[in-house]
Amino acid sequence: MKISDIILLAFNNLKRNTLRTVLTMLGVAVGIGTLSSMVSLGRGVSQNISSQMSRNDLFTGLTISSRDFGFDSSPQSSRLLTTERQVVPLTDSTIYDLEQKDEVAVVFPELIKPAVIVFKGRSVNANIKAVPVKMGGFYPFDNIKLGEFYSSESEPCVVLSKNVLNRMGIYTDKISSESPSSVLMPADSIIGADIEIITKIFDIEKIDLITSSKKQLPLKNDTTILRVKGIVETNSFSAGIFSDGIFLPTKTCEYIPCIDLQNVYDIINGNAGKYGKYNSLHVRVKEHSMLRKVKNEAEADGFQVFSIGDKLDDFERVFFMLDSILAAVGIIALVLSVFGIVNTLLMAIYERRKEIGIMKSLGATSSQVKLIFYFEAAMIGFAGGLIGVLCGKIASAASSRLQIPNSKILLTVISNILRILGKLYCCPFCFRLLSALRLRYIRRVKPPKSTL
Amino acid sequence: MALIEVNNLSKTYKKGDNVIYALRNINFDIQEGEYVSIVGKSGSGKSTLLNLLGGMDTSATGGVYYNGKNLLEMTEKELSYHRKFTVGMIFQSFNLIPTRTAIDNVKLPLIFSNYPVRLRETRACELLYNMGLYNRALHYPSELSGGEAQRVAIARALANKPKVILADEPTGNLDTATSGEIISLLQMFNKKHNITVIMVTHDKETANRVSDKTVLLSDGEIIKTTVNQKK
Repeated sequence: MKISDIILLAFNNLKRNTLRTVLTMLGVAVGIGTLSSMVSLGRGVSQNISSQMSRNDLFTGLTISSRDFGFDSSPQSSRLLTTERQVVPLTDSTIYDLEQKDEVAVVFPELIKPAVIVFKGRSVNANIKAVPVKMGGFYPFDNIKLGEFYSSESEPCVVLSKNVLNRMGIYTDKISSESPSSVLMPADSIIGADIEIITKIFDIEKIDLITSSKKQLPLKNDTTILRVKGIVETNSFSAGIFSDGIFLPTKTCEYIPCIDLQNVYDIINGNAGKYGKYNSLHVRVKEHSMLRKVKNEAEADGFQVFSIGDKLDDFERVFFMLDSILAAVGIIALVLSVFGIVNTLLMAIYERRKEIGIMKSLGATSSQVKLIFYFEAAMIGFAGGLIGVLCGKIASAASSRLQIPNSKILLTVISNILRILGKLYCCPFCFRLLSALRLRYIRRVKPPKSTL
Repeated sequence: MALIEVNNLSKTYKKGDNVIYALRNINFDIQEGEYVSIVGKSGSGKSTLLNLLGGMDTSATGGVYYNGKNLLEMTEKELSYHRKFTVGMIFQSFNLIPTRTAIDNVKLPLIFSNYPVRLRETRACELLYNMGLYNRALHYPSELSGGEAQRVAIARALANKPKVILADEPTGNLDTATSGEIISLLQMFNKKHNITVIMVTHDKETANRVSDKTVLLSDGEIIKTTVNQKK
């Protein structure tokens, strides 16, 4: 018996029970669809978050410092650690050495100064941050839509983060704040406009050594006026240094005078100049896999290193759990649909016992008869699986585009509709069957003897 | 040498602790081209015997020899070959597949015997034409009369040109006139094509009239074998 004959016989058998075939196929489709949509949903979510995190320098960035990061729970132990270990100062030669490593893409000092920003008559507290020109090739500065990134380390300009503008009540596209002071301002009027950066510096004249109880700090404002060159959009996944603030070329930022509180504490603790020129360095490696090597080497050199990339394994574990839970839901749906197929096939075998007998009397072997049934199951499974995979793809695409909360809900609704339809279809049949059985039973029961 | 030899054939069923003999020590032989009728009352073991002769059932003791080869010791593949090419079966209730047309029913054994695909249609049409059913080829069994359905069943039984036709009460569901037609057809195939016919019936008169040999069964035992000379 040829395979083509078996396929044709199986196909004809399925064709003659179209409704049952279609319903079984839909059962498989719902099972496979749920599984594929659950798995793709889980993987989509984890990949989306992972890619957002890695784009935002979370898994490729590390911070190097001479100081302890103070993650230790006890402040005493932290102080002990600092005093016990040998401090390696962060200098320009440290930056040079790191830049020479093949794994490192960018190194720059984390220079952050607190300031008051005044722009278009509005003011807000924000940190000004030194970001080198080289960062123009990396997220989020590689995708500045309003204005542009600076091209020189000493250019007298800034790149504003959209968050800072919004905090000032200035919006460029649409106002998403209920504050009455919020204004819509075209990007053209922002780009090229002057911005005032007010920082605090020591005021020698106010230092009064005789009446030291005077409750006025010996500080004064220093104002720097720069030009807005671009507006950058950052998001919640952005690494600390890129999350919010005003970004300046390195030299420009260095020129802005500002008291350094860290240095004040260093003076108090007698550590002035001990930690070198910079408080910390930001290092971006080319790939996540290179992170650990650079980190280990920096630690071996005596630096303190912090990287959220170390936590990637924990993230992946959480994503794996999420994937597993979603896959389990899908597998349960798939198992149910497999039961559906098995039930349909058993019913088909039961109904077609006579036909099986006829086929065997005509010379078919048991294996040939089995093959016909296997092909029927395979056809239903294949067609249902194909529809299911397509539905899964469509559902997961729809859920990501149309903001459907969960494609599982959609598929559950579909499966319930099918179940109700199935019951409606089966009920008249069951009723007829029960009626027939009842009639047969009534015929068998002898009439009761007359009591007369 | 006889075409079919049945030696000490016994078949038992178990019902609780009781052993029931469906067939007990059956012995007879059938020559090639013979028309043999197996006659008996309901439950006498006629159909059981026919199933054993057709290789549909092998759970018995003794021997059913076809050309010297014991059917009871054959492998499934050999039995399948026997059912495909050696015997053609006809049943009282026609046993046509209701969802297939007459021509598709006739084509079914050709599918199992790997008959060339392009010749299947021709062979099935030829058989239906010989049965006078050419114009009913595309009809479903439910659209055929009893006689027509039985003729389709005969056409199907003859599809692979068997040497033996096993007919299990072929006229049981038919009226007298149609029964006569079916019996005539079987006689014609027996005489013209030298096909051995083994027919199970409980109509002793018909059996004696048409067959060369009549085997009378009662309670699983042969009580009489008659050779009819006047055929």
